[in-house]
Amino acid sequence: MGHQASEENRLTWVTSGFPVEIPVAMDLGVSYPEQYGAIVGSQKVGPEVCGYAEDIGYSQELCSYARVSIGSVENPDSSPMEGLPKPQALLAGNNICGTVLRWYDAISEQTGAPVFLLDTPPIEDKQPDHHKEYVLRGVDRLVEFLGTTFNKTLTEERMQEVADLSSKALGLWTKSLVACKTSPSPLNCADRFLAMGPVVSMRGTELIIDFYQGLWDEVEMRVKEGLGAIREEKIRLLWDNIPPWHSIFKFFNGLAKRGVVFPADTYTHAWSGQIEGDDLFDSVATMYSNVYLNKGLDAKIDKMCNMIKDYNLDGFVMFSVRSCKRYSLGQLVSKEIVTERTGVPGVVIEGDMVDSRVYNEAQIQTRVDALLEMFM
Amino acid sequence: MSKFGIGIDIGSTTAKGLLIDSDMKVCAKHIMLTGAAASQAIDKILEELESQSGLQLDNITIISTGYGRARVENAEKSVTEITCHSRGVHSLNPEIRLLIDVGGQDSKVIRIGKKGRPDDFELNDKCSAGTGRFLEVMARVLGITIDELGPLALQSDSPSSISSTCTVFAESEVIGHIGAGAKPDDIAAGIHESMSTKIVALAKRVKVVPPVCVTGGVALNPAFRHYLSKHLGTNLWIPEEPQLTGALGAAVIALNGKS
Amino acid sequence: MSYEGVLEQSDSGLKELVKAGEEIIGYIYPHTPLELFLAHGLTPSLMRAMPGIGSGFEESLQTFACSYIRNLYNQRVNEQLPAITGLLFPGNTCDSLQNLTDIWKIRFSNDRTYRLTYPVTRYANDDSAETYLKKELEILSKTIESTLSHPFSTDNYERAVSLVRDFRLDTQFLYAARLVDPDVLPYAELARLVRSFLSTPIASVASDIHNISVSVKEKMESKGLLGIIDSILSGLQTKDLSKVEPFKPPTGSRILVVGGMVEPQAIATIINGIDGIDDSILVLDLLSFGFKSVFTPPLDKNGDPFEEMAKSILAAPGEPTQEGLHQRMDFLKNLVESLQIDGLIICEQSFCDPDQFEAPSIEKAASKAEIRTVRIPLDPELSDRARIEVKIQTFLESLGNM
Repeated sequence: MGHQASEENRLTWVTSGFPVEIPVAMDLGVSYPEQYGAIVGSQKVGPEVCGYAEDIGYSQELCSYARVSIGSVENPDSSPMEGLPKPQALLAGNNICGTVLRWYDAISEQTGAPVFLLDTPPIEDKQPDHHKEYVLRGVDRLVEFLGTTFNKTLTEERMQEVADLSSKALGLWTKSLVACKTSPSPLNCADRFLAMGPVVSMRGTELIIDFYQGLWDEVEMRVKEGLGAIREEKIRLLWDNIPPWHSIFKFFNGLAKRGVVFPADTYTHAWSGQIEGDDLFDSVATMYSNVYLNKGLDAKIDKMCNMIKDYNLDGFVMFSVRSCKRYSLGQLVSKEIVTERTGVPGVVIEGDMVDSRVYNEAQIQTRVDALLEMFM
Repeated sequence: MSKFGIGIDIGSTTAKGLLIDSDMKVCAKHIMLTGAAASQAIDKILEELESQSGLQLDNITIISTGYGRARVENAEKSVTEITCHSRGVHSLNPEIRLLIDVGGQDSKVIRIGKKGRPDDFELNDKCSAGTGRFLEVMARVLGITIDELGPLALQSDSPSSISSTCTVFAESEVIGHIGAGAKPDDIAAGIHESMSTKIVALAKRVKVVPPVCVTGGVALNPAFRHYLSKHLGTNLWIPEEPQLTGALGAAVIALNGKS
Repeated sequence: MSYEGVLEQSDSGLKELVKAGEEIIGYIYPHTPLELFLAHGLTPSLMRAMPGIGSGFEESLQTFACSYIRNLYNQRVNEQLPAITGLLFPGNTCDSLQNLTDIWKIRFSNDRTYRLTYPVTRYANDDSAETYLKKELEILSKTIESTLSHPFSTDNYERAVSLVRDFRLDTQFLYAARLVDPDVLPYAELARLVRSFLSTPIASVASDIHNISVSVKEKMESKGLLGIIDSILSGLQTKDLSKVEPFKPPTGSRILVVGGMVEPQAIATIINGIDGIDDSILVLDLLSFGFKSVFTPPLDKNGDPFEEMAKSILAAPGEPTQEGLHQRMDFLKNLVESLQIDGLIICEQSFCDPDQFEAPSIEKAASKAEIRTVRIPLDPELSDRARIEVKIQTFLESLGNM
């Protein structure tokens, strides 16, 4: 689908937190470099593809999604699926991190496609009025930019249609997430990480409604029958951060064998909320400014503590992702405070979501074992 | 009347001195451990060069290089070991385009340009597993000497996978392999494979242009040469006295002045 | 003066101010509105990463946090920060600083901290970024007033505008003069002057700088170089180098140092420490605490203060969060060509996203301009100093045909 849009010169690459409903409503194709990063990681060729970026001078200390992206544009023939199809515009939203600005600038240099940045400065807790005003003007400019670049218009009708579809999918997705409050949890971490793909990359399309309806039907059934995602649920934990795509099954299934399930995590729960009301753009400016990663550490801590309480969790695992400074840098502090406030123990494990060269199984094993021993 | 040049290379472990004439013939040379006092090593080297050549050193230009290059008082100037290795290798083999030097503590890659001068170069990052130290650590883990490590690795044709960029983590990967019952020769091979991929990554930043020369203590390791050659996709040329290429380059610069 | 000596000197200047009863607000990000704090009767002082600080960050920050913020955190934990009344953090500039602020507020909850969040919109051709920043500045002003009982005074504001404007114009002139005649003032000295003002933005320091600038101007006038210096100055101020007059620079390498929040003094010290080299080869820097601070446009006294401050900040040169990569690289290429630069030293702060994303693009631009580059990984502790010296010396050797 992305290939077709690229051939028709109407493909955009977007960041995962971008209001994708707008380009979709303007009949543009969307591809997700971050999701491509996850795929490359899962195929266990993260180090190689990152290496293509490192060969042209990008430091190994940079975001591994960015390195994979830059590396696959540099060397598509040696990259999975030959990389993503060529974009005609790059849409970056910095509500997930400040890195996207620089990453997309680099891609722009490589591909010649122009960048549009939707700036949503981080907020402490509540979104100030002048912040919403500012973001709204950015949304207006986005529509203008897409209009000029692709010679397309956005009708209110189509925007409403897409917003409704997006809300519907998100609604179904959220129901499945919330159902994990039950014990046994119908879904485990890896299930959610894989199932979230469509709602991240194809929000606003009709295609995914069936998928999430199907997911919800399955989840509903499991809850009714008391079927858990894992055989014998003994311990329920919270997961924080992006997962190690290269070892996702090994890690979560390994723990599942020991009765450990993850009914909730901060990553998959980030795609929720609805575009609604009379003023859709206002809703966009609110929803996309208030995502988990765009709030202060206090707000993140609150969210984690609430999830531990609401989902009845026994502890937590924080994955300290070396190449993701935005998500990882507060963890040493939040770990202490979450335990203080909830009384449950947690552990920080180190690695990277894509670059398996910095993932040390032995160290992770030791730390997780130590956590599990606390429950005996 | 013949002209002469002296090159003095004060490394952190060994100190080297070379006296050459304008025909590039070596009239005197000396290698010794640097020891605690670089100045003493420098004096000893000059003594040796004088007595071996039978020449008065007063009118001969001295260029110094290496870690302790600023300590050579009689030197007309100091030049970095990168430039000196490049000039030195070029004078031994003008065809060489890429020089890879792997020492105990650091690694460098130099793309040699016109007249043997470095066109581009890279040093290893502060903490990377691409130096002699990596091999030392791993030999210890396997319970063998560093000299035994290379030949052992050559006995394997299925190297164990060692992917960590950090020596400490790589060490625990090796321990993991030992625990899982992997054969020592496969582990040794994996160690060399891992190291050579790090060096190749460093080399790519400078662009790999053959022919390639390798110098430094690790150049003597046959397994390292095997895997490096394999991953670079080209043969390797090793000079006869790889330790002296820095001093040689310095002597060449001394001979030729600033041109 | 050695790197360590300079640090001591600016530290003592600050100590004297504190003794005299002045209240200091520390700040971290170079594009901080000095005039705002001065208008409130406070002294804004740039907090610097310093060598020789003990550790302590491990309790709160992982090693992949940038070395700059780790150093600042270490200073705080070891109680080695200067005696400041409050600390201003930036928002929306980079993820390391974003997290540092949040962590600091939790770990040191009794510290008085403020945050100014910057917009990063570029090429909008509208005033949305200015409007947003203006509001942020107004809120900051009100917060300062209520927490420190220091109201905004128009008199202080006007004095501050003149003070900072004089500093900027004088140091801009010195930058331009050094491009034409690098020997007229050592780079280390220029860096010291800039640093001393950013540490203690007071009249006596500005006056010292002014005197030096006057004496340099006289020397340049006697050599008949003022015309070319002015054309370069105007080119740098307007970011349009097309009208720079051609000139014949003195012999010797002409190096440009680029990078982010690294210490200009540290570079000067390293270069001066290399056998046979001195910092006259450094004809220009594009560093945050050098060029980018100096060439920020001064305020217009007659405009609305908050609007003026917002405009000035948004017009600061070279920041990735304000200009497009494309624009910056084109400017760099033009600079290299019109100012006859021979080579680039690219500084990269350890684990710094902005520096490390930018470096490959800078290499490409340099390659298009047919000049060589060398990349230097740096941290405030200068932990890799010996190897940095080797790299720079080798680089210079390759320029000078060794």
